[in-house]
Amino acid sequence: VVRLWIKSYAEYDGKMKLTKARCLILACGNTLRGDDGVGPWLAEWAEERFRSEAGVRVVSRQQWTPELAEEIAAAASVIFVDCATDCAAGIVRTSIVEAASGSSEPGTHHLSAAQLLGLSKELYGAVPSTSLLLTVGAGSTELGEEFSAAVKAALPEAFRTLELTVRDLLTASQRK
Amino acid sequence: MSQTITIDPVTRLEGHGKITIHMNEQGEVENAHFHVTQVRGFERFAEGRPYYEMPSLMARICGICPVSHLIASAKACEAIMSVRIPHTAAQLRRMLNLAQMVQSHALSFFYLSSPDLVLGMESDPKARHIFGVVAAKPELGRAGIALRRFGQHVIELLADKRVHPGWVIPGGVTEPLAAAKRDEILAMLPEAYANVALALGWYKQVAESFRPEIEVFANFPSLYMSLINEDESIEFTDGALRLIDAEGNTIDEGITASKYAEVIGEAVEPYSYTKFAYYKPLGYPQGCYRVGPLARLNIVKTMGTPRADKEMAEFKQLAAGPVQSSFYYHHARLIEALYGIEKIEQILADPLILDKQVRATAGVNRLEGAGQAEAPRGTLNHHYKVDENGKMTWANLVIATGQNNNAMNKGVLQAAKHYVKDGKFTEGVLNRIEAVVRTFDPCLSCSTHAYGQMPLVLSLVSAGGEVVDQVVR
Repeated sequence: VVRLWIKSYAEYDGKMKLTKARCLILACGNTLRGDDGVGPWLAEWAEERFRSEAGVRVVSRQQWTPELAEEIAAAASVIFVDCATDCAAGIVRTSIVEAASGSSEPGTHHLSAAQLLGLSKELYGAVPSTSLLLTVGAGSTELGEEFSAAVKAALPEAFRTLELTVRDLLTASQRK
Repeated sequence: MSQTITIDPVTRLEGHGKITIHMNEQGEVENAHFHVTQVRGFERFAEGRPYYEMPSLMARICGICPVSHLIASAKACEAIMSVRIPHTAAQLRRMLNLAQMVQSHALSFFYLSSPDLVLGMESDPKARHIFGVVAAKPELGRAGIALRRFGQHVIELLADKRVHPGWVIPGGVTEPLAAAKRDEILAMLPEAYANVALALGWYKQVAESFRPEIEVFANFPSLYMSLINEDESIEFTDGALRLIDAEGNTIDEGITASKYAEVIGEAVEPYSYTKFAYYKPLGYPQGCYRVGPLARLNIVKTMGTPRADKEMAEFKQLAAGPVQSSFYYHHARLIEALYGIEKIEQILADPLILDKQVRATAGVNRLEGAGQAEAPRGTLNHHYKVDENGKMTWANLVIATGQNNNAMNKGVLQAAKHYVKDGKFTEGVLNRIEAVVRTFDPCLSCSTHAYGQMPLVLSLVSAGGEVVDQVVR
C-alpha cells in the first residue's frame, strides 16, 4: 500500500485527472420531471452511439454546476444538451453559445451554458473553439418519467442532429 | 406603529427559508424568527415500506448531504438486524462521509459565504456570488471549485454516483474498493491539501476585519453537542454523543443512538415546519444547543490528524473556553475540510481497505433501531420501528438544522437588534442578518427542484397590514 501510494505521489502533476475531450457532450435535466429528462436521455443515447470514439466524452448532470468549468476549458468543443421552455414542444434547435460576462448573476445551485463558459474563461483562461447548445422544446415538466407526445416524436430528429453535430466537430478538430 | 420586516426567501442557503423581524411601537426590534417554509413528510411516507429500503429512500431528503442520511439510516437498520458490519465496510463508509463533508463545506464556504467575505457585506448584491468571487480572487474561486470537485469525485469513485448513491446498504456496502480507485483518490490529495491550505491562510488573514460581525453573529453562550471517540478525537460516523455547557464542562456523554430520545426533545413552533430540538434536562427553550463544525471543534480534544490538530490548536486560542460566535463556523468548517482530506489519506493506508468482506447479512432481530452520524452541518439521528415482517411502522428523524434551530433564531434576533434601528434597514443590514443564518449552513431542502431564480423580497408591514416599504432583489 505504502509503495503504491508513494508512486502515485511521485507521478502526480499537481492537477486532478482531467479528460481532455475533442468533443464534450454536457447534458442537463431531471429524469423525474417529464420532458426535462430529455437531456439525460440524449446523453445516454450518445454514450452508446460514440462508445468507440475516444475523443467523445459524455457527462450528464441534473444541474450544471461550477465544477464542470475546468473540464469545459480543457475540451476542444462542447455541445450543451438541455430542454427549452422558450419554444414550441418538440422543436429541436442548435445555437452557438457565447461566454457570459462575469456580471451575470448565477443561480445558487445551477448555471446556464453561457455562465459555465464564462466561468471557464475567467478561471482557466480557455473556452472550447466551438460551443453549441442543442435543445428540445419541452411540452411538460410536471412530475413523471414519460416524455410528452411532442418530445417523443422529436427524438429521432434530436438523435440525428446530435450525431451530425458531433461528427462535424470531430472532423473540424482533426483538421486543426 | 409596530412593523414587521420579512426577508423571503433567504438567499444562498440549502433550501427555502424566510426571516421576519417584528418591531414595536418605538421602532425597536422586539422579536425575530427564522421560518422554514417547506414541508417534506419523509417520516410519514416511510411507514409501510420495508426497513431495508430506508437508506436509499431517506437519502432523497437531501442532495447535498445524502451520504449522512444513508449512513444514519443504514445504522438504524443494522440495529434492527442486530449486526456489526465488517471493519472494511466501516472504513469505506467513514471515507464516504468525509468526502461528503469536504464537498459540502466547500460549497458552504466558497459558494455561499465567501461572496460576503471577499466582496464585503455591503457590496453590490448583484455581484455578490461565486462569479464575483472568481473575478475578485480567482485563485480562491479555483480552490473552492476544485475542493468541491475533489469531494464529489471521491464519492463518485467509491459509490458510483455523486448524488444519492445506493452503495451504502444495511449491513455494509455493496462493493469493495478497487485498487485503481484507491490510487486515483491518493493522486488527488496533494491538490486538495493545497486548496484547503490556501483557503485557511486567506480566511485567517481577513477574519479580524469582520470583528463587528463576529461580535453579534449568534455570539452567545449555549450548549454544544457532537459525536466524539473514546480517545476524545473528532468522529463523523461512529462514537457517541457528548454535550458540553458554555464553559466547556461535559454535562452528558456516551449518548448512543438508542439513548438519544431519552436526552433530546423536539418542540414545535407555529411559524416553522422545522422542529426545535432541545436538551431535555434543561427543558425548552433553555436547553438550546448548537451542532456542526463549531460544536465539534469546541467539544473534541484532538482532531486525530497532524495538520488539522495544528490548526485546531490555533482555533482554541480564540477563546478561553468554547468559541461562542457563530461567525467562527467558517473557520471550523475549513479545519474540518483539512481533517477530512488527512483522514481519507489515513484510511486509504489501512492494510484491509481493499478487503472483499464488506457486508453482513441478517433479518429482523429487533423491532426498533436507531442510528446516528455527523452530517456536515451537525448531528443526525434516524429512529425506526418495524413489525415482525420488517415493515416500517414509525420513523423519527432529528436533523442538524432542527438541532441548530433555537440557536439560529436567537442569532437572528441578536443581529436584528444590533443592526435594525428605528425601523430602518439597508440592503447591507439585511445581508448581515441572512449571513448569520448562513454561518450555520442550514440545509432546509436541497432535493427540491428549484425552477428559476430565487428572489428576495423584504417588506416592512405596518400593524394595519399596510406595506410601507419593500426591497426586491
